[in-house]
Amino acid sequence: MQSPIDGIFDEAENRYLKPEELQSIGQYVASIAERMSAYRALRDQELELIQQAADQLQLEMPGIETAVLERAVKNGMLTLRHCGMAMLLDDQNFVQKRLLNWLKDSIELHQTHGADGAFFGLMKQRVRLSLNAQQMALLEPFFNLVETVIPAQEEEEMLTVAGIF
Amino acid sequence: MISVSDLFIHDRLPANYYASDVYVRGDLEMGLLESRRGDRLLSLPETLIQAIYAGLNKETGQASRLVLFNCGRWWGKNFFNRFRDEVSDYYGTPLVEMQMADFLQALKQCWITYGLGKLSLDQSYHDRGFLIVETHHSPFARLATDATLPSCHLEAGIFASVFSQLAGRELHCVQTRCESMGAESNLFVIGLQKRLEPAEVLVEKQLDHESILPRLFV
Repeated sequence: MQSPIDGIFDEAENRYLKPEELQSIGQYVASIAERMSAYRALRDQELELIQQAADQLQLEMPGIETAVLERAVKNGMLTLRHCGMAMLLDDQNFVQKRLLNWLKDSIELHQTHGADGAFFGLMKQRVRLSLNAQQMALLEPFFNLVETVIPAQEEEEMLTVAGIF
Repeated sequence: MISVSDLFIHDRLPANYYASDVYVRGDLEMGLLESRRGDRLLSLPETLIQAIYAGLNKETGQASRLVLFNCGRWWGKNFFNRFRDEVSDYYGTPLVEMQMADFLQALKQCWITYGLGKLSLDQSYHDRGFLIVETHHSPFARLATDATLPSCHLEAGIFASVFSQLAGRELHCVQTRCESMGAESNLFVIGLQKRLEPAEVLVEKQLDHESILPRLFV
């Protein structure tokens, strides 16, 4: 796996970097401090915000089986950890390759679209409260990637037999 | 209410053990490729598989199918041991106690990272005593030329061995559809040897998967 920044350094034997390549390194370096502070915020508040989202999910889905709930919380926590790391590295491949295939299989094999979608939505709300706008803007692209695998709750609800006909 | 901190296993959250960039490592000074546990890995050139096919076919003719199947069984036995150790250690649960879905998820990712293609399981015939494995992009099918019969004998051997060990009784595997014959995927039927014997004859008679399967249910 290679981050976009890594890719820039691949052709050392052929040429010097182009101005736009140097510029993208510059942009990344300039954003490091903000990325690190967002990462620290996620790390320090992980348990609290996940616990709040888990409590909220139980209120919203009172009949949810413990196993389904636990899986949704674990998947959510793994998603947040992977998105946090990917944000630090500014590398979408990190989420794509390490998490998404695996998460897609997990949701399909356990048939937990509803719970996973709901938890992910609640977790995002909590994360928004923990980060400032700039930090959230750095993290958002990675959440959007995850949304290709975890369908948003609203869409899920439309997909009923009655809704199709 | 659940306590989130109780969900950690030894302070970690097991996820995708077989993520390819984490699983495949190397000790390049020694010229070694290794798994994340330090077991040796080898990458296999396609031409070697072709050479094995050609060599076996020349020396043993029709028997090469059986030879490859038995090689697959032997490979599968060791593959299973490694897989069992890796997965049980990582998830902190003995493989036999793992949920089928978790086991399958790990096996699928393992198959991908080993470069063997994509794998899925169809359990809809479990009450009839059969399990269907489907694979896509098999290297063993791709390299078989002029196939008139299914050619993933190595894989069939692996599946027979892996599922025998999982089930704790001797199982057999017959391939009923093959990419080398122009199909979109490979299908393998796993079950007791005695009940699968008719399938081998029907495959030889060039019947397709859909025609073979119902005849096994008698």
